[in-house]
Amino acid sequence: MGLFDFMKGKKGVALAAPVSGECIPISQVPDPTFAEEILGKGIAIRPSQGKFYSPVDGVVSTVFPTGHAVGVTSPEGTEVLIHVGLDTVQLKGQFFKTLVEAEQKVKKGDLLLEADLEEISRAGYNTVTPMIVCNSDDYAEVKCRTEGTVSPGEEVITCIS
Amino acid sequence: MKTFTYTITDALGIHARPAGLLVKLAAGYQSNILISREGKEANAKRIMAIMGLGATTGAEITVKVEGPDEGEAAAAVEDFLKANL
Repeated sequence: MGLFDFMKGKKGVALAAPVSGECIPISQVPDPTFAEEILGKGIAIRPSQGKFYSPVDGVVSTVFPTGHAVGVTSPEGTEVLIHVGLDTVQLKGQFFKTLVEAEQKVKKGDLLLEADLEEISRAGYNTVTPMIVCNSDDYAEVKCRTEGTVSPGEEVITCIS
Repeated sequence: MKTFTYTITDALGIHARPAGLLVKLAAGYQSNILISREGKEANAKRIMAIMGLGATTGAEITVKVEGPDEGEAAAAVEDFLKANL
């Protein structure tokens, strides 16, 4: 039985893992912006490779000029932010390559950005990647995966209205 | 309605952390708070919208506050911007 089978039949928006790696509880991310859910509820993945894919069909709502984060809004209005690494804004674009632009339509599984994880780690930054539902308050519940190995496309968040 | 402009001086602009803190602050007021930059307008209570402004160093933003607590809210947002951005 799958983790989210119990919710079958309920209205929800499913978000897929943007990258392969290991899920950890967001509360264990050593950055209060994410751990204290200042941006909303979500998951955190310790990525095992540097390709990040869209978690859902939608429109690219924001691409940070520094290339370390991308936002995608689903047709239902779910606002998802993928933030690669912690404090990586300081790298000012180094080791990141964005493959989409704001307002661009994307499908679940489309490549959004590439990051050189090895170089980012070497520069002293944690590569743990939070994926946040920025409008968490619009949902009655945001179910988040907190453990286990995941692959891109695998469901990790369900937003229930 | 209260309106003011502010020019971003922080080297990193409105990235994830300041956007989150700004939205948290704005959510504490009843007034509508809109931030605009180069024709784009964002509700200051929506994180994705604020991040979508792409307000980097040197960007001039306009803040419009309207509602029952607009004086207090405008002052708080202006103080936040000066202290953080």
